[in-house]
Amino acid sequence: EDTFEAETANREVVEARKRQLDEWRAWRERVEKDLKAQRVELGLPEDPNAAQRKKDEAEDTVIE
Amino acid sequence: MRPILLQGHERSLTQIKYNKDGDLLFSTAKDHVICAWYSVNGERLGTYHGHQGALWTVDIDPTSTLLATGAADNTIKIWDVKTGKSLKTWDFPTAVKRVEFSEDGTLLLAVTEARMGFLGTLVVFPIIVDVEAQQADAPLFTITFRESKATVAAWSYLNKYIITGHEDGSVSQYDGKSGELIQDIQAHEIGTAGQITDIQMAPDRTYFVTASKDKTAKIIDVDNLKVLKTFVTDTPLNTAALTPKKDFVILGGGQEARDVTTTSQRQGKFEARFYHKIFEDEIGRVRGHFGPLNTIAVHPQGTGYASGGEDGYVRVHHFDKPYFDFTYEVERMKA
Repeated sequence: EDTFEAETANREVVEARKRQLDEWRAWRERVEKDLKAQRVELGLPEDPNAAQRKKDEAEDTVIE
Repeated sequence: MRPILLQGHERSLTQIKYNKDGDLLFSTAKDHVICAWYSVNGERLGTYHGHQGALWTVDIDPTSTLLATGAADNTIKIWDVKTGKSLKTWDFPTAVKRVEFSEDGTLLLAVTEARMGFLGTLVVFPIIVDVEAQQADAPLFTITFRESKATVAAWSYLNKYIITGHEDGSVSQYDGKSGELIQDIQAHEIGTAGQITDIQMAPDRTYFVTASKDKTAKIIDVDNLKVLKTFVTDTPLNTAALTPKKDFVILGGGQEARDVTTTSQRQGKFEARFYHKIFEDEIGRVRGHFGPLNTIAVHPQGTGYASGGEDGYVRVHHFDKPYFDFTYEVERMKA
């Protein structure tokens, strides 16, 4: 019976974490989409770090 | 995760900041000097001399060209990062407690102290990111705090909002262009017990983490000021930082030595506390400082962090494999 209770408690914790993770990821997806839309509206690149990353990659290539 | 100890300050640390690339670290302390360090090995790159009082705050623009500092000598200074030359000084009637560049580097906000008949303010200056440029003399606008003074402030994404954290535990959202108040919330315990000691933005500046004397830290949505997560600790907090790559927050604080009866037993036991950002659980601690942690900064690529203590030391940590491997079962299931 103790084992059963412990398993139920564990399952509840896991379920709660799943819910928290899903909620967080859904919220992030929404926020990131909104931010991209606002950046595009202002005529900015969708990803502010894309240009920098491209530059870094180019520099890396030269070194190689 | 063996830390590198940076010895260069003679007084307690007040703020540390990485530059955007994460190769440099800037630190301010109550000893009037700003230090620049190579984050990889802790070698000191240089110092910036000119302030006549304790330094409270530092920030570096996204291109690592200009450094901004605020001090108890009632000034903000702009420095040439490379040469260490002071390029501009703005004078105020009271101390400057916090400075921060906007994400595009074109604006600088500063929080000034309330004292001797002067109300606390927040000022915003236009910035030209060029060491040859003549910076403006006057701010674009000033926000005056009539009720509770602001202690910290930060820019949101796209400079849309200015977020301020206050002495009374409240958080306010102002329009980033006009300085008009949009809304405020009682994010932490009301009164000085809930004083907000730090605000740090997420990398994309769509949410932020607060640290408070009420022993909690909170994650708040920058658009609607909704509290999304709460981290409960057993000590007053001075600082809170978010880690890119991993979903963690790092919290720092501790009781002042004079408030603790068992000081001798606590030598070197002031800890940085790691919490899971989504599940709100404490997952680990890193000890080492001999006094409360005043400031924590995370490497922008999430590869390490640095903490600055009341003990006058900066400790730089590079995360190792177990840190990156750590995941909850549900995270692995839903990867």
